[in-house]
Amino acid sequence: MASWRIPDALVARLYETARADRWALPVAPFAAALERSAGNTFAAEPDPRALERHLTSLHLEDLALACACAAGHESAWEHFVREHRPLLYKAAAAIDPTGGSRELADSLYGELFGLAERDGARRSLFEYFHGRSTLSTWLRAVLAQRHVDRVRSARRFEELPAEEAPDLARASVAHQPHAARYVELMRRAVVAAVARLTPKDRLRLGYYYAHDLTLAQIGRALKEHEATVSRNLARARRDIRRDVERQLRDRERMSPSEIEECFAAVVEDVGSLDVADLLGGVRKKSQEDRSKERPEGASA
Amino acid sequence: MPERDHDRSVEHVLRHVLPGDVPAQQQSTCPDAETIAAWHEGTLRAEDAAAMERHVADCPRCRTLMAAFIQTTPVAPALESFWRRWHLGWAVPLATAATAAALWIAPPNTPQLQLSSRAASPVSVDATAPATPPPALSPATAAAEPSAPTSAESLQASGAAATSQLRKSLSENESNLARLADERAAADAAPSTRIEADKRERATITAAPRAFAAAREAAAPAEIVAPGGVARWRIVSGQQIEWSPAARNEWGPATIEAPDVLTAGAAPSATVCWIVGRRGAVYVTTDGMRFMRVPFPEMSDLVAVTATDERTATVSGDDGRSWSTTDQGRTWSAGQ
Repeated sequence: MASWRIPDALVARLYETARADRWALPVAPFAAALERSAGNTFAAEPDPRALERHLTSLHLEDLALACACAAGHESAWEHFVREHRPLLYKAAAAIDPTGGSRELADSLYGELFGLAERDGARRSLFEYFHGRSTLSTWLRAVLAQRHVDRVRSARRFEELPAEEAPDLARASVAHQPHAARYVELMRRAVVAAVARLTPKDRLRLGYYYAHDLTLAQIGRALKEHEATVSRNLARARRDIRRDVERQLRDRERMSPSEIEECFAAVVEDVGSLDVADLLGGVRKKSQEDRSKERPEGASA
Repeated sequence: MPERDHDRSVEHVLRHVLPGDVPAQQQSTCPDAETIAAWHEGTLRAEDAAAMERHVADCPRCRTLMAAFIQTTPVAPALESFWRRWHLGWAVPLATAATAAALWIAPPNTPQLQLSSRAASPVSVDATAPATPPPALSPATAAAEPSAPTSAESLQASGAAATSQLRKSLSENESNLARLADERAAADAAPSTRIEADKRERATITAAPRAFAAAREAAAPAEIVAPGGVARWRIVSGQQIEWSPAARNEWGPATIEAPDVLTAGAAPSATVCWIVGRRGAVYVTTDGMRFMRVPFPEMSDLVAVTATDERTATVSGDDGRSWSTTDQGRTWSAGQ
């Protein structure tokens, strides 16, 4: 919370704008919520005009509702349950259509209500809402956050992949003596090329190739038209290809035929998983090499 | 190895390195849920939004979070440019009006209309029956009185069916079900198979080519399916091509540099696809992904293409003319 106070007149005006009286919310907790929000944005006491600009830009009605729910006002809870709870469950169903996220939504609902206690006091998750976004978007973001953290946490306990895949990888590269080296060179070159793209290009590529989002979904996320997403993806891929070709030619001193072999190595004699296998084999080999304190590139 | 194969190799590697192998440009703290929500709503300050974008681009956790978050985003009606809204809004009435005008103006016994009525024969009782000169119906009356199967009425039915087909595509593409509900009802009232509708579409090309071409363009993206469904292409926003190889339901951008509006395509095999467009635009791909411009002698607006392989194709203009090539566009012969 901020160490400075918001002028009472401004609080009163914001209280009215937020229609906080609908929930019979006292002014004091609303003022405290405003101060938390301002304290979260300004490190030091801000210029009064900047403070007012910030506070008036908040989603004040949602902030008042969150404040009233956190304080346990019944009418506010009724409103929240009627208006927002269905959206929460709908979002959970969208994240995991098999119903896996329903439990998360229930748990989140419990946290919003304030089932958890800290220092003997009921703490509601609503206290972390500062009004910088709408309440519904914030709820969806929190839900997505919980979902991702749960998935990542579960992965830590997954069994390691069986050893067969790397063995197969070795078998598949055995009859192509340079394949493993070429695959690793390609991987490094692509990684370097991607790192040279703009953040937006990297984000677009990540959404498309790593998360399999559709062009429409990416468009919604980046506020771009679907066709623009498609065009930008094609351009980024072309830039990467040219960058990789340049790296192989200039840095690795490869001949055109070797460059062709490099590109071919990552797609040859395989389905979609083969490259993963090859990379797995190469990575494992690299790790073994590192453990023997060999220099980088020893896998070549 | 052509560039397209290099692109495919790059894609292959991207699918494996992007989940986490790209080194972060700079490590920053992961944003809280409210910052993510504000970023999504576009209410962050410009510098904060740029910082968010940098962070999410390089942080696998936040990118995964955003990917999950996006899936919870309610689908709003697609944003359209002013031009597109205007264009689509007028396409259907324009097509309908042009078809009605053709009915109104064209003499019923001209060879062209008789040909059209034969093409539209599935809805006419007897296409070979002598055509009776129909009374001069006003468009409104004609629309209100679907009755005896005369040639003109057959043509009217064909026009209505083609228009309803276009309306259906429009409604799918633009997610504007409410606006097109009435047209859909009309489409339901005119029972026809897809093949019959295609025949009627061709008949309509003869009767009102420009209106049809405009409406068809508005109805994009149309899918171009290779025999056996082994690959598909589609025209997106008039100037982009997307490709879905190997009968998968995954679309990726194909490479095409098309300054003109693309209108139609034909795919004789899994890797060969011909695309045509306005002002004599003809393209062909032989690897499925990379389209090359094919020389074409005219500046006609092309609206249809048929192809048998990567060298042989016939294209049709909106004025009814056609041209054929058997050497991938090095030479063209007219009227074949």
